[in-house]
Amino acid sequence: MQYPDDSENLDQWFPRDASAYMQAVLPIPRLGVVVGGSLSKGLVVKLDRGQSVEDLAVGRYVVVHGTNKRFFCMINDISLNNTNPAIQSDPPDISDPFLSAVYTGTAAYGTIHVAPMLSIGDDDKPKPVKTIPSHFMEVMNANVEDVNDVFGHEDESHFNVGTPLELDETQINIDLKRLVERSVGVFGKSGTGKSFLTRVLLAGVIAKNQGVNLIFDMHNDYGWEITSENGSSVKGLKQLFSSKVTILTLDVESSRRRNAKFDSEVKIGLDEIEPEDIAQLRVTMSLSDAMIDAAHTLHKRWGDSWIRRLLKGNVDDIEEVAENTPIMSGTLLALQRRLERFERWDFLVAETPEDSVERIVNLLVEQQQSVVLEFGRYGNSLEAYILVANYLTRRIHERYIDKVERALGDKAMEPPQLLITIEEAHKFLDPQIARATIFGIIAREMRKYNVTLLIVDQRPSGIDEEVMSQIGTRVTALLDNERDINAVLNGISGAAGLREVLSRLDTKQQAIIMGHAVPMPVVVKTRAYDEQFYASLINANGTGINIDKARKTLGSGGGERRIR
Amino acid sequence: MVSTQQEIVGRILRASTKGFTCGTSSRQVDTRHDFGAFVKVPIANDGDCCVIGLIYAVEIKDDQLVNELVMADSVNPNVLLDQRENRMVPVEIDVLNVGYGYRDANGAVINGFHSLPPRPPMSLTDVELCSIYEVFTFTQRYDFFRTVINASDVPSDDLLAAALRYASQAYPENQRYEFMVHCGQHLARMLANDLKRLSHVLALIRPA
Repeated sequence: MQYPDDSENLDQWFPRDASAYMQAVLPIPRLGVVVGGSLSKGLVVKLDRGQSVEDLAVGRYVVVHGTNKRFFCMINDISLNNTNPAIQSDPPDISDPFLSAVYTGTAAYGTIHVAPMLSIGDDDKPKPVKTIPSHFMEVMNANVEDVNDVFGHEDESHFNVGTPLELDETQINIDLKRLVERSVGVFGKSGTGKSFLTRVLLAGVIAKNQGVNLIFDMHNDYGWEITSENGSSVKGLKQLFSSKVTILTLDVESSRRRNAKFDSEVKIGLDEIEPEDIAQLRVTMSLSDAMIDAAHTLHKRWGDSWIRRLLKGNVDDIEEVAENTPIMSGTLLALQRRLERFERWDFLVAETPEDSVERIVNLLVEQQQSVVLEFGRYGNSLEAYILVANYLTRRIHERYIDKVERALGDKAMEPPQLLITIEEAHKFLDPQIARATIFGIIAREMRKYNVTLLIVDQRPSGIDEEVMSQIGTRVTALLDNERDINAVLNGISGAAGLREVLSRLDTKQQAIIMGHAVPMPVVVKTRAYDEQFYASLINANGTGINIDKARKTLGSGGGERRIR
Repeated sequence: MVSTQQEIVGRILRASTKGFTCGTSSRQVDTRHDFGAFVKVPIANDGDCCVIGLIYAVEIKDDQLVNELVMADSVNPNVLLDQRENRMVPVEIDVLNVGYGYRDANGAVINGFHSLPPRPPMSLTDVELCSIYEVFTFTQRYDFFRTVINASDVPSDDLLAAALRYASQAYPENQRYEFMVHCGQHLARMLANDLKRLSHVLALIRPA
């Protein structure tokens, strides 16, 4: 141990940052040595005698110090071994402390299985692992420096989402730029904190100006204040970023009842709904192919008012269609009965004074605001949620394609990266309909038109396999259904090891992040969504100047053209 | 009893590189000749290099007169005492070689090798008890365990246990338990394939 040389300098003897000092002076305890394994199956590490198996946990990081490289690894299994199987039939009397001390770690010992994820060479840059350390290399717990070498520091595009397991002194910073450029999935069984996790990610994207969000807020979780499971109130995104978030609502009454502020109401005209929008409800409203065909026919014959005329149920109209088209009157009546549900949804009106789609696109593109669309009581109606989400997304996507194509060659004219958040995603991305829905199209086309998805779901196995394969970053809380676990891990290298980790996450505040936004799969204890988090966002948000916005404002019409 | 000064155990009667037998007068026999004691003796033609061994047998041989006296009805106590102390048959002390080392400037045998010596000691060379320091330094490593465990015609388990109990006396009192635990752990690795034997040896060395 090195002692300070200046006896007058108290800061040297008693540093202000005591934890950093302790980190520097205390040796990192060795866990054990590599005794076997392979690149594909992971390494086997025999634990040292003094190392308690109970102090280790799957998902924790360890570093193997090879001859020329450090190998950053994740523990994915822990096992008990012995040098002689006979000890199992005649175990020693461990109540005797002497025998306990002798046998533990010698005749009976622990091993851990670790998956090498990255290697760090002399240049301190993490690289994909393509080899393994040799026999008997030392294995240590990862320290702050190791984690920082891999996950970098928080900066303009990196956002702190939590801490690695058992290493609270450091933080995991995900690359938000990479997060938003491909679709993101947030998975986890019910009650594991998906909404909180999503809120943290969305807050990061907004705070770091990495894109705008369109959130189809099924349960009114994201816009304004909500009450958490432990009874405390937590802030919504609008309260954290008042100038960057707009809340729209489909249900004014619900917003008032909840005392939740909103910026304006959204109404959708029945005349604006097209047969393609109805087709997305095929599964949830049990619409047959004949009914979908009937909808197209009616639209062709009656024009934009086809839904209104069908709902009026004029007998002459129905008979006229049945006589002059191949559609059976029974089919028309069945379609009519199903669409009668629309009459119970107050946000659907005959005509609307303004185009909701245009307003949202204006908010997203021109004002660079994130939009939270609250469903109020309609969130309980899956049909309403799917109809509105599809209706708006289809049209916004079309506008985005148009804007991106117009902006070809001029990056400054491109619309901002848009992240569309949908819940109960398996209802939109069911294998039967995923190819036809706008969400399936967006998921597949990736970053081509600056629109990506953030899908929140508790049944990832219900999502189309092709769509799942296109999800860039997967943030997964606890899952215990085998099919769901398989779906999430499909296509991830080293999935066998991660399976154990995934099924043993805590039920709250723990998630595994893997994919495009992180250099390697990482188990995080997610940040608490509390006052400290709000304060950190203000710091991240307070002083930054949005260069893109400034450039666009200068280049477009409007009152802010002049430099003041 | 670990020696704090040079003490003669006996003189060499017979020797090989595997071990040796030394003899001494019966009236000299005391704690220096304990079973499991560490002893040293210079090897042939090299005063600096000493064999280190463990006493594994102390044998008091009979002779014709002793046989007769055993069967006599009554014997004068002075005759018995005379026969015990002044008989012409030496007490034989058998030693198993477990290592060798070289004397330092103070005459202490250090830098020990836990293997058999290059040459045996010569006849009639004095065999000395190892000092505390020599026992302490020699038992910093455990490689000599295997020599003891594998020795034939030697009560190896009991010898090793006795040697370790003997050696533990060379350690400060607060380090003795730790020393025995380390020895036990080393034995646990060596005897992993023979758990019954391991269990027996551990029972023998287990601190009270």
